[in-house]
Amino acid sequence: MKKRRLFLFTIVLVIAIIFSNYHPTIASSVGKETLTMITSPDYPPYEFYETKGGERQIVGFDIDIANYIKKELGFKLKITQSDFNGLIPALQANRADFVMAGMTPTPQRRENVDFSIIYYEAKDTIVAAKTSNLKKPEDLSGKIVGVQLGTIQEQNAKRISQKVADIQLKRLNKVPEIVQEIKAGRIDAAIVEATVALGYVKANPDLLFNIIPSIENTSGSAIAFPKGSQLVEPFNNVLRKMKNNGELERLSKKWFSATSSTSEALSPNSSTKIADGLNLDFRRIIPDIPYILQGIPLTLLFTLSSVFFGLFWGTALSFFKISGIKPLGWFANVYTSIFRGTPLLLQLSLIYFATPQLTGYNIPALYAGVLTFTLNSGAYMSETIRGGIQAVDKGQFEAAMSMGVTYGMMMWDIILPQALKNILPALVNETIGLLKDSSLVATIGVVEILRSAQIVGANKYIYFEPLLFAGLIYYALVIGLSFAASALERKLRKSD
Amino acid sequence: MNKAIIRTDLLCKSFGKLEVLQDISTEINRGEVVAILGPSGSGKSTFLRCINLLEIPTKGKVYFHDDDITLPKTNIAQIRQRLVMVFQHFNLFPHMTVLQNITYAPIKVKGLDKKQAQIKGLELLEKVGLAEKADVYPAKLSGGQKQRVAIARALAMEPEMILFDEPTSALDPEMVKDVLEVMRSLANTGITMAIVTHEMGFAREVASRIMFLDKGRLAEDASPKDFFVHPQCDRAKQFLEKML
Repeated sequence: MKKRRLFLFTIVLVIAIIFSNYHPTIASSVGKETLTMITSPDYPPYEFYETKGGERQIVGFDIDIANYIKKELGFKLKITQSDFNGLIPALQANRADFVMAGMTPTPQRRENVDFSIIYYEAKDTIVAAKTSNLKKPEDLSGKIVGVQLGTIQEQNAKRISQKVADIQLKRLNKVPEIVQEIKAGRIDAAIVEATVALGYVKANPDLLFNIIPSIENTSGSAIAFPKGSQLVEPFNNVLRKMKNNGELERLSKKWFSATSSTSEALSPNSSTKIADGLNLDFRRIIPDIPYILQGIPLTLLFTLSSVFFGLFWGTALSFFKISGIKPLGWFANVYTSIFRGTPLLLQLSLIYFATPQLTGYNIPALYAGVLTFTLNSGAYMSETIRGGIQAVDKGQFEAAMSMGVTYGMMMWDIILPQALKNILPALVNETIGLLKDSSLVATIGVVEILRSAQIVGANKYIYFEPLLFAGLIYYALVIGLSFAASALERKLRKSD
Repeated sequence: MNKAIIRTDLLCKSFGKLEVLQDISTEINRGEVVAILGPSGSGKSTFLRCINLLEIPTKGKVYFHDDDITLPKTNIAQIRQRLVMVFQHFNLFPHMTVLQNITYAPIKVKGLDKKQAQIKGLELLEKVGLAEKADVYPAKLSGGQKQRVAIARALAMEPEMILFDEPTSALDPEMVKDVLEVMRSLANTGITMAIVTHEMGFAREVASRIMFLDKGRLAEDASPKDFFVHPQCDRAKQFLEKML
């Protein structure tokens, strides 16, 4: 009896070791228990934000697959997000361990990252206005065709344009924009992945789509990893298992259920006229309002900390400029010319993506945003502050100096308060500018007001309502800021 | 010990090619009230501003109690605490109240306790006849009142010497009297003063010594009596003819 127990125990132990052995290899192969996945959650049904009631959760086909793999391999999963164009740079910057974003393994991408096997074969469609009668690739001759920049659809559209004469491609950043361009008549059609197209056609009855019969190299989705990642094989094993046990089939049904019946159901060529006007219906975003509002604290935090630090940095730079010490003045002038002379968006992308590779510090997006805006607004403010300081009457400097006040105290107590009072309107302008420019940090994945609105738009396949709502919030914030500024100005003017 | 507070030795100052001061050698002794006179452009103000190094001399030396303060190692801020200046345009700090203007430097520079500085500041305001203006901002004061506050601010530093740079030139005539009154009573306390002025009557009555500058040179250095009654050089004679 005892022996048998011991025997059983040993067997269980051996099996446990064999199986558990599997897990440590995953964890130890990359040296961590938590794997970070990065995706671009504006691409339903692959991945998008579930935003009802103010909660924010990335869901979708890819997410379900990632969670299945997570369970199989026994790691903890952290999901982060960025623009589609920022996904591969994020892998290269070691910000994430893998990308799932309905991404197709193109040869160009393979130069920079490794891919898993294809887990979903997608089909491309031609989306166009119902009235347009654009159904086959050949119909696109002489037309303007929209595609999402950096996607496999862009590649496929190029391929079509090589065969069909006279296609003009227009590359846009997001599918919602493409859809709006069709509705506005600026482009005639677009190449969009079938499941995505389905959602948009449902939400915009004036559009229809037709599946493109066969393009060689069908566009399938695969998981992307940094070059040489140890994760490829284990992930492939799980994907194969999912294919075999029907899990992939089940998930694709869950998310793409309507796809199979689309063509017939949705492309009847009824010639309903495209509706005039914007067809606004704000009721559609009411459930998402709490979610959009959540962007406000972040936008404010971001703006105010950038202004705060920018003011200090700008003051320091302006001191360099008036110090009369050549190297300092030279540095400040070159610095200013560079930061004023290059686009803010470029600076933001460089700082966010280059910092991890240069310093090894994986700078969070919000920090990168505040840092960039501080450095940038510091350059602008340094000129404003320099002007403000130089506009203070020379007699003020002399009076302070003639009583033996040191340079630092003189600047802090006597000169800067007067300079700041004079340049306050200019500083308020700068702050308002920063508040609105804060929407740029969306490109590195910070979900502020505008990004929240775009996410809601992408989920609901609508465009104008969330955008207008976001505009209203920005306007209200700017008005609030202006009020606060005039109160401050009144306070400062009490000595007049 | 030499009783000279300030001594200049072949002091020269030029702005570019324009020579404003040429070889001024003189002393200002403890307790003297020196009026510095001369036609406009003669370098009076520049001379005064060279004494506390608001202008850096081009050549020559300035000694403060035998120390050459034109040397680079000089801590000029420390010297200036003992050698304060009153300006033509007052230069009160507009964002501070009258009392804050007066107590700022004593607290920050001399490390005086805030309460003490305020008590002393109010005393000084009393002295210049503006006690009731302690909490007012300078913008609310007339020119004459501003200049009296500026004098109180200078006195609050308890300096060894006060440099007055045309203290009444920017004032309406009816304000001049009040300011001169304050300066006269100040002279009677025995504090050392150097005053650049166009107020001949005041110079004659209050000064213990007249320095007459002409074209950047010290043309005459005499007692008021000698200067006003028997001016030596022609330029001084012409100048007095015009002024009186």
